[in-house]
Amino acid sequence: MSLWVDCYRPKSLDELHYHESLSARLRSLAASGDFPHMLFYGPSGAGKKTRIACTLKELFGKGVEKLKIDQRVFLTPSRRKLDVNVVQSNFHLEITPSEVGNYDRVVIQELLKEIAQTQQVDINARHRFKVVVINEADSLTRDAQAALRRTMEKYMSNMRIILCANSTSKLIAPIKSRCLLVRVAAPTEEEMVTVMKHVASRQNFRIEDESVVCEIARDAEGNLRKALLVFEALKMQTGSLNGPITIAKPDWETYCIKVGDMITQEQSPQRVMDVRTKLYELLSHCIPPTVILKTIAARVVEKVDESLKADIMHWAAVYEVRMRVGNKKIFHLEAWVVKVMSIYKHFFYGIDMGSFE
Amino acid sequence: MAAGPSAPGSKPVPAAKDSNCLAGLSFVFTGELSAFSREEATDLAKRFGGRVVSQPSSRTDYVVLGADAGPSKLAAIKKNNLKTLDEDGFLNLIATRVPDYTDDKLKKKIEKEQDAIRAAANELERREKEIEKKVKGKEKGKDQISNTVPLGSQLWVDRYSPHTLKEVCGNKGQIEKLQQWLNDWPSSLKSGFKKPGKNAMNTSRAVLITGPPGIGKTTAAHLCAKLAGFTPIELNASDARSKRLVENSTNVSNTSLDGWMHGTEATNAAGVKITDKSCLIMDEVDGMSAGDRGGVVALVALIRKTKIPIICIANDRGAQKLKPLIANAFNLPFRRPEAAAIRSRLLTIAFKEKMKVPANVIDQLVMGAQSDIRQVLNMLSTWKLSNNAIDFDQGKDLSKMNEKYTVLTPFDVTYKMLGPYMFSATARETLGDKMELYFHDPSFVPLFMQENYLKTQPSRIKNDAGPEKTLKHLELMDKAASSLSDGDLVDALIHGPEQHWSLMPLHAVCSTIRPASFLYGSGGGYGGQNPMSFPAWLGQNSKQSKLNRELMDMQARMRLKVSSDRHELRQSYIPALFPYVVKPLMDEGVSAVGTVITRMDDYFLNRDDWDTLVELGLDEYKDEVVLKKITPATKTGLTRKYNAADHPIAFHKATDLGKVPKKLAAQGPAPDLEEAP
Repeated sequence: MSLWVDCYRPKSLDELHYHESLSARLRSLAASGDFPHMLFYGPSGAGKKTRIACTLKELFGKGVEKLKIDQRVFLTPSRRKLDVNVVQSNFHLEITPSEVGNYDRVVIQELLKEIAQTQQVDINARHRFKVVVINEADSLTRDAQAALRRTMEKYMSNMRIILCANSTSKLIAPIKSRCLLVRVAAPTEEEMVTVMKHVASRQNFRIEDESVVCEIARDAEGNLRKALLVFEALKMQTGSLNGPITIAKPDWETYCIKVGDMITQEQSPQRVMDVRTKLYELLSHCIPPTVILKTIAARVVEKVDESLKADIMHWAAVYEVRMRVGNKKIFHLEAWVVKVMSIYKHFFYGIDMGSFE
Repeated sequence: MAAGPSAPGSKPVPAAKDSNCLAGLSFVFTGELSAFSREEATDLAKRFGGRVVSQPSSRTDYVVLGADAGPSKLAAIKKNNLKTLDEDGFLNLIATRVPDYTDDKLKKKIEKEQDAIRAAANELERREKEIEKKVKGKEKGKDQISNTVPLGSQLWVDRYSPHTLKEVCGNKGQIEKLQQWLNDWPSSLKSGFKKPGKNAMNTSRAVLITGPPGIGKTTAAHLCAKLAGFTPIELNASDARSKRLVENSTNVSNTSLDGWMHGTEATNAAGVKITDKSCLIMDEVDGMSAGDRGGVVALVALIRKTKIPIICIANDRGAQKLKPLIANAFNLPFRRPEAAAIRSRLLTIAFKEKMKVPANVIDQLVMGAQSDIRQVLNMLSTWKLSNNAIDFDQGKDLSKMNEKYTVLTPFDVTYKMLGPYMFSATARETLGDKMELYFHDPSFVPLFMQENYLKTQPSRIKNDAGPEKTLKHLELMDKAASSLSDGDLVDALIHGPEQHWSLMPLHAVCSTIRPASFLYGSGGGYGGQNPMSFPAWLGQNSKQSKLNRELMDMQARMRLKVSSDRHELRQSYIPALFPYVVKPLMDEGVSAVGTVITRMDDYFLNRDDWDTLVELGLDEYKDEVVLKKITPATKTGLTRKYNAADHPIAFHKATDLGKVPKKLAAQGPAPDLEEAP
């Protein structure tokens, strides 16, 4: 038995619970026969992949649900082996180019050319073209994005591309202009509650205390995946989902909060080095640096005086940009930590000494 | 306030009454002087004939105290009741002191030294005449082209190479050992190398001499062999020494036709005269490189069965390829001789060549060449071509010109950078000099800086106290950290697709010099509590990429069930899966294994993914904490039960299926990003 999120994932456009106008538009697009390149974007847990899968089903029928994973190996000129996992059905395939880092351009070109050169063999297929879904499109290198432009026009006859990204800001304008942009916004709390109620009814239990579900929805901050996972975990823990409950935060979040507290408790070189060890721990356990910065900054801001909040957030933004441009994330994270400590301490003594005089 | 001199260069060096005014005195410098840097001050003392030692002892004459003197030195001053001078006192001493030449002791000492030099020079002269006579005699007697070079055109190094063991500078003990071993050789050969003898050396058939260049290793080996009655056969890096050649050419009893044809003594294949007593000297064995494949191994094989002594000579004892040799030969490490040990020999030679070289200049040259006698001799002979005398400053320039370029380790660079002297106001290092330090190892030095920059007690704030100090310290840290962050941005440009290598100097400033300029000071390698450490970044980075790869594999397997990317997988799924896949094993033990495996099968997870899942945990789910709560029995139970059954598999690894990797074409030129859409 898999988790509820995966069990009760909608399989077709009709089963989707929210963004109904979007569903209707996707349905008519799929029916029109003139299907464009598309770019789905929105925060994680909003339902981008679910909608892509539903659209594909609408386009090609049940065949797209028969998935298999094919691992392809490439050999770079420097004789490094690259593994690329291609998830595919008879009608579409899905790749995650960020798996191969800097080689994404050549790998994408290689794969796309292959697909573009083969015609659809299935006589009964509803469409002549195949669809290529590119995951994590916002982590494509600029080179790879530039290389996509030409490909998108050249192979329009037997291939369509669906890009899936968290934000469009890292995509170059030429790509955006070649796609139909589809924003999948995060669901509202009410929408999430409806989904959870639906899951409960499929699971054959009744939600007695509505406030608990609302609390889960609020805590998930628009991430339906997170909401459903928490929902199931709580159900398993308490059994009844009644009364006041505390939502356990995931391990990395509590860890980030601890780091935030360390920063506000003491400001010294030794403390910076302690924080550094913790940051290394977070980074090496695959927590993205931006998430770390965001979570810690949120915690620090919660703890400090009103007048400091804007400053701290400003510097967090500055160092986030630097992190994206730079190589070694820890340098920038640490620089931010030191900055915050300095600001905090100055403020602290500012008050202290003022009151003495 | 920065520490150190208020006015660098503000005080002139007084004219001394006597050029050797500090003769016979020893000095210790501690703390920062106000007008001179440490180096300049010690130079002054040396120039006027004084001796500079680093630690005060009862025999120290003066301690020159500056600001912030080291506490251990102050204690030593008190203990030994030493005389102290401040900067002005020191200058005054130079201006006024006249060494007491009437003092009998000093006078006798100087005279004795001079006599010894004169005697030694005469001895050299006599020997040379003898040799010349011999050569002439030989030439008259035989109508053969002599290959001896007339003495006048020989290099000093050859001309004055030691002829007796007494003349070899330094390493007396080691040379005696070598001598003893060679003398004992016939008896140890007879006993089958069973009796260790006095120095426990007689069980070895070979000796390995190691030490830096120019300290007389080869000379000592030749001399010892000759004095013990052996004929040395030398093979050095100029000879090919591959496996086959070592085996053939060292076959010493093979006489060659060539030698016989010339009608002289019999020679072997390598053209060396053969006597009943030969000694093989393998010089520069660490130079047996790519061309000499298998040379060291063949040499070791030779050593195991040799009936003549073998002396191997190498520079670097730690070299990997010398490992087999070290195990099979007796090791005789040679050290750099002290300046005092070389001084009289060099003075003798200078005297004989009619050069005027004061003793302190010789010391300076020896120090600059790091006790490389050969180099000092070469320097002097070059100097002789244009000048007959050399003074202190010229000596300094000469040794600076011939300075050996040594690559500092990142540790050394970081010590220097963050240490209290590099940025103090008396420091004379220019920005270029500091950059030079970065370029000793541009990829590692910035990492070392980032690791260690917080470990100092900054000199900039040492005069502050209380909250003021804390605030200023934080401010400096902030500046340093943001500069490091700048440095990383520059690094990204250098190592990015466009490879702006010309930005390296900027990187040097941002990543290394600027941060150090804020936080330099004592501590971290200068007696502080925090020793310098190796950058954690390297280890952490490889750990991160390993876990990232494992996570990616896991995501690929789960893809058929789960739509999330790997970040979401880590952030939401793993904490959610934990209660189903790991927690039961912690709470219930072996009985939960079945349910755990079904849950894993639902997501196509295999046993390795389970490990990854545990490894990725943080905080209360950290792998150490979790694994402590799972008994070994449970874990083996899981492994056994998992391996016993078949499991659904999302896909096979391409390499397992034997797929041939598709070759990618070279990346080619990057597409033009500025092209109109």
